[in-house]
Amino acid sequence: MKKVFRLLLLLAGLGLGYWLWGLCCPSPEKLVQRQMARLATTATFTTHDSNISRALKISHLTGMFTVDAQVSLDASGETARTLNGRDEIRDAARSGLTMLSALKLEFSDVSIRVAPDKLTADVNCTTRVLMGGSRDMRAEEMHFQLRKIDGSWLISRAETVKTLT
Amino acid sequence: MLSANDQAVQPHWLQVAFIGRRPKATLIRILALVTFCFVTFKYVLLPIRIEGISMQPTLHDGEFDCVNCLAYRWHEPQRGDIVSVRLAGPHVMLMKRIIALPGETLTFHEGHAYIDGKRLAEPYVKFECDWEHGPIVCSNNQYYVVGDNRSMPFEFHTQGRAERDRIVGKLFL
Repeated sequence: MKKVFRLLLLLAGLGLGYWLWGLCCPSPEKLVQRQMARLATTATFTTHDSNISRALKISHLTGMFTVDAQVSLDASGETARTLNGRDEIRDAARSGLTMLSALKLEFSDVSIRVAPDKLTADVNCTTRVLMGGSRDMRAEEMHFQLRKIDGSWLISRAETVKTLT
Repeated sequence: MLSANDQAVQPHWLQVAFIGRRPKATLIRILALVTFCFVTFKYVLLPIRIEGISMQPTLHDGEFDCVNCLAYRWHEPQRGDIVSVRLAGPHVMLMKRIIALPGETLTFHEGHAYIDGKRLAEPYVKFECDWEHGPIVCSNNQYYVVGDNRSMPFEFHTQGRAERDRIVGKLFL
């Protein structure tokens, strides 16, 4: 019984050590995953958000992209659109926040592939967007490319993937 | 009539109700049931909830169903099958009906689908449709999938050619 208890204690200690290691020294995959989660949170806003809060969100959102970032959106039923650089992304985000009463962004089935040099990463995921008072959540497959610049992972490219051609 | 000895080994009725007369056997049964449910609902029958109106009146918004992932293990998808097409993964999928098979050419004229020039009988399409669309050729690995509700304009309906490896399975019910 004592041996079993010691073994369990050892396993718990190893588990705790592994968890602490992950917390202190997160892997690039974990950092990219966090950045994607942050992107979803920042892009989400509700009717209760004030204008100041929305302006802050725009600023944070723009800061998540590289200066030369390119966003290509070609969702079904919508006009294809390409945004080049932070300024165009900022303008698009501003008009989105003005036009829409609320927006909910979620990422699911996120798969992350970090390059061997650990400076770029590719992310494939399903993006689910709920706009304004709409009941229907729109889903699009997306591909993101992130670059590590000054220690932080920034989105350099975002594009919709055509599930059905 | 029970002897005093029999009464001593008789488990409490609460124990009998919750864990049975033989707890070890109950535990094994629970483990077997959990394993069976995990394997079934993770790899064989994927539970899904329908969202949207594109498959009406066959499937309704909010309905629950299952996708049979083994349906195409021994044969290829057939015309008329309602299939699930994965996006980046299995958590969000498109539920659509196959109307054209690999190598076929599809045309929409006056709202009707034509396969290689022959009109396709589609009793499941109940709403009016006026789609006009030029020939769409499916390659050897593509299936044309579309919803049953074609009352909206062509460009507002999510449809198109799906690669074979994107088709996860067939609607179970």
